Order: sequence, then C-alpha cells, then structure tokens
Amino acid sequence: MVKIENLSFGYTRKQTLFDQLSLELVPGNIYGLLGRNGAGKTTLLKIIAGLVFPRNGSSRIGNMESKTRNPSALEDICFIPEEYHLPSIRIEHYVSINAPFYRRFDHEKLDWLLREFKLGSKDRLNQLSFGQKKKFLLAFGLSTSARLLLMDEPTNGLDIPSKSQFRRVIAASLTEEQSVVISTHQVRDLESLIDPVIIIDEGRIIFQQDLKSISSALSFETIEEIKENLRPIYYEEGLGGYSAILPNIRGKDTKLDLELLFNGVVSNNKGISEAFKQ
Amino acid sequence: MKANNIFDIKRSYLLVRRQVLSNAPVWLIAFGAVAGTLLVISLLVAYFQPQNLPGLSGLYFTVMFIGGYVYTSNIFGELHQSQKSYQYLTLPVSTTERLFSAWILTAVLFPLISVVLMALIVFLANLVMNFTFDVTPFQSVFSNSGWTAVKVYAVTQSVFLLGAVYFRKNNFLKTVLALFVVSVVIQIVIVSTAWILFSPISENGVNIGPQNMSLELEHFIMEYIPVTARLVFWYLTIPFFLTVSWFSLKERQV
Repeated sequence: MVKIENLSFGYTRKQTLFDQLSLELVPGNIYGLLGRNGAGKTTLLKIIAGLVFPRNGSSRIGNMESKTRNPSALEDICFIPEEYHLPSIRIEHYVSINAPFYRRFDHEKLDWLLREFKLGSKDRLNQLSFGQKKKFLLAFGLSTSARLLLMDEPTNGLDIPSKSQFRRVIAASLTEEQSVVISTHQVRDLESLIDPVIIIDEGRIIFQQDLKSISSALSFETIEEIKENLRPIYYEEGLGGYSAILPNIRGKDTKLDLELLFNGVVSNNKGISEAFKQ
Repeated sequence: MKANNIFDIKRSYLLVRRQVLSNAPVWLIAFGAVAGTLLVISLLVAYFQPQNLPGLSGLYFTVMFIGGYVYTSNIFGELHQSQKSYQYLTLPVSTTERLFSAWILTAVLFPLISVVLMALIVFLANLVMNFTFDVTPFQSVFSNSGWTAVKVYAVTQSVFLLGAVYFRKNNFLKTVLALFVVSVVIQIVIVSTAWILFSPISENGVNIGPQNMSLELEHFIMEYIPVTARLVFWYLTIPFFLTVSWFSLKERQV
C-alpha cells in the first residue's frame, strides 16, 4: 500500500530530518507511529499524503508517487491533522460539497458515525468544540472509504469517554483493505489499538515490530529490585518497584507497556534489538 | 472505474461548486456592497446629471477591474493557510482541475456576473429616474469598448492568478508591486535601447536619429513591433501565465 524507499528530507538545505529512510505499510493494520518531539512523525505523514516533497528517494501509494497528488491516489488517502480549520457551515452542507469527490463515500456509515459521536447534521461546524470537530473529521474520513487513514495525534482534545469511543469506532469500522497510521505521543490512549509499532528517532526508523513479535521477545514486568541475573534491558523506578523490560526467555505472556517500550527503544535500542535476535 | 488523473469535467464542476457554496456568504456580501454603492452613485448621477449616466460605465469597469484583481488574488486562499491547505491539497482533484476551476471563477464567471450587475444598475437608475425603459444607457455597458474592457480584464487577470498561487500572503499587493518592478525594468530596457539607437551622435560621429533611420528599420519599428505586441498580449499572455501558475501550483507544499 505505502512504500517509502531511501527517502531524504529536510526543511532547509543545511538541516536533514530524514536520511535514507525506508518503510513499507501493508493493508489491514493500525500502525502506531511513535517518536520524540521533532522526530518527524507529522512530516512523515505529510510526505505520505503528498503535502511535502522528499529531497531524494520516493514515497509511493500503490503505484503512484505521493508528490504527484493524483486524484485516484488522493481518493485513497484521508489525512486528519492535529490542528485544522473547518468552515462556518452546517455538517450537512460540508458533506454535500465535499463528499462527491470521493466515489466510494459511504453515507450510511457517516450517519452511523455521527449518531455514535452524538453529532447532528444541522450542527454548525464552527460552533463545535475542538473534540467534537475532531470526531466529525474522523467520521467524515472513515466514510470516504479511503484505504489509508493518516491521523496526527487523534486523541488530543478528546475527553476520557471519547478516547474509548474513538478506539471502539476505529476498530469497528475498518476493513481488511484499509490501513491506519496513527502518530501520537499519548501511547497509553492507543496501546490497545495499534499494531504494529513504529518508532522513529534521529531521522531513522529504529523500531518496527508487531505486537506478537514484541510479546514473544520481551516481557514487561514490575519488579521489586533490580538484580543482575534478570538482565533488564530497560527499567524505570515507579510506585511499588521498577517497571522493567526483560528478555522474554521463558515465554511469559505479559501485558505490553507501550510507553515503557518507547522509552526502552529510545534509551537502549541495541539491547532491544538483541532481544529480538535471540 | 479508473479515474482520469489529468482532467475530469465533473470534478472541475464539483470544485467550482465547492468554492462557490463554501464562500457564498462572503462573496454575496462583497458583491452586494459594491453593487449597492454603484447603484447609489448611479441614482445620484441620474437625478442630478442624467446626461452623464452613460459615462458612468468607466467607473463600473474600473471597479470591475480592481474587484476582479482582488478576487483573483484571493482565489487560492485555502492554499496559503496551513490548517486549510491540508484539506484543499488532499482533495481528490488534479492540479489542472484546481487551476481550471479558479480560472473559470475569476476570468469567466466574475466578469459575466459583473456585466450583468452593471446592466442591472444602469437599468434601475434609468428606470427610477425616468420611469421609462431607455436602451441608450445599456449601450455604454454592451458597447465595443465595454467588451474590449472585459477582454482586457480576462487577459490581465491571469497575472493576478499567478500571484494568487505564488505569493503566500498579501497576494494582491505583492502582485501589484511585482508588476510595478517589472514595468520599471521594461521601461529602463526600452529607454536604454532607444537612447543607444536614437542618440544624436553615435560613437563614430554618425547621427542615426529618426530622421536618418533606414526605411526597413522604420517599417520594423512602426509596423512589426505594435503587431507583435498585440499578438503577445492577446494570444500569449493567458497561456503563459496559466502555464507558470500550473507549475507553481503543482510544486506547492504546505
């Protein structure tokens, strides 16, 4: 679906954000794109959507180069940015002028999603709260039947019930043909949803694994004290002991702690990589 | 069915429709305010100096030119605001359709609506003041010079269309400034060339002023240059600026 090969990018000639970055995304997955501030998560989404162009290398959606912004490729992309502007018109008006561009637009799905999000078709977009606007954009994006949904910090601005509603709606409305890439800092909001996990740091993909591989290679445990024989790859002191990532030698089935994994990958990528080789 | 990735008339129509419907309130207010002001001026002229009513067409066309240039300069407003540009640039339409719909709105529909409004204003002014329908005032709007003005607008607005794509802020003012700078440079080149050709004494002491100009050179200057300039203006200006605008739009990033 998306193939990025040897991509280089920088906002200025002197500064390079990505150098020789390669990545392949296949349909049927909800990718979690994690990284520190300024790592280039949003930029990578923009490159995939054809909103910014790579300096070298390529980003393709199917057979089409993202930067060509061909209508048939754009019909398969829905980009929901972190911050956006919606016109001061009613929802039904917005839908009537934008939906016809998407030949596979599913009006029934939109009605269902609007009901789920408690939004009325007569509601004025400029009078909605930030979270409601985000829900509307999500509903519209899912209804376009685009095969690739790119979401930048989708849970920012959502209240606690809305976050679980967001996870439920995404999980319920995606098909096998669709892929989602979610860029986020709020890993705890989405750790039950995303699979595989991609971590980006210093212009490179430093980690890309699905949850099954992570669970079989690593165990996430809370331990009272750090002992050498446990061979912790990474640990953090917390309430009641240490949260640690250990090599999963005994094949334990532990609950993935995405935040801990992210910190572990960023701090000790070598140790994590070695655990996957074993 | 496979989509045409270069040009599709249905998508172009949808884009024009989207532009019109999402901006309708603002455009109606602007058109209403300008047309209302012109109507009041026309009524005053019709009441106090009715013989000058046909002469108001100059004012109408001046307003149409300025209004059209400002409107054209803002036609890609969505493109220049990052929060709006995400949606605009990911809308499934081609670069050609984006440019075509903007051109249709600014170079075709805008002057068409303006001329209809002008005729309506003239008609109302005439009707209110005389309580009769007199066709004379319409001749000033639908005269040859009126249509020439519309054609000149259609050609010159292509420059502002390029400015609308190229500049990110204050598009109208920046385009006017760019036009001023370019015209100054062209004038410097023309004056320099004329000075070199027609200065009273050349380097070898021979006067090649207009009175000593050869017939071929005189014929070239008097015949070919104006004809070429007219051809360039009427037939090359629009294709040139639309082509440059297309490439500028195609390369546009957020």
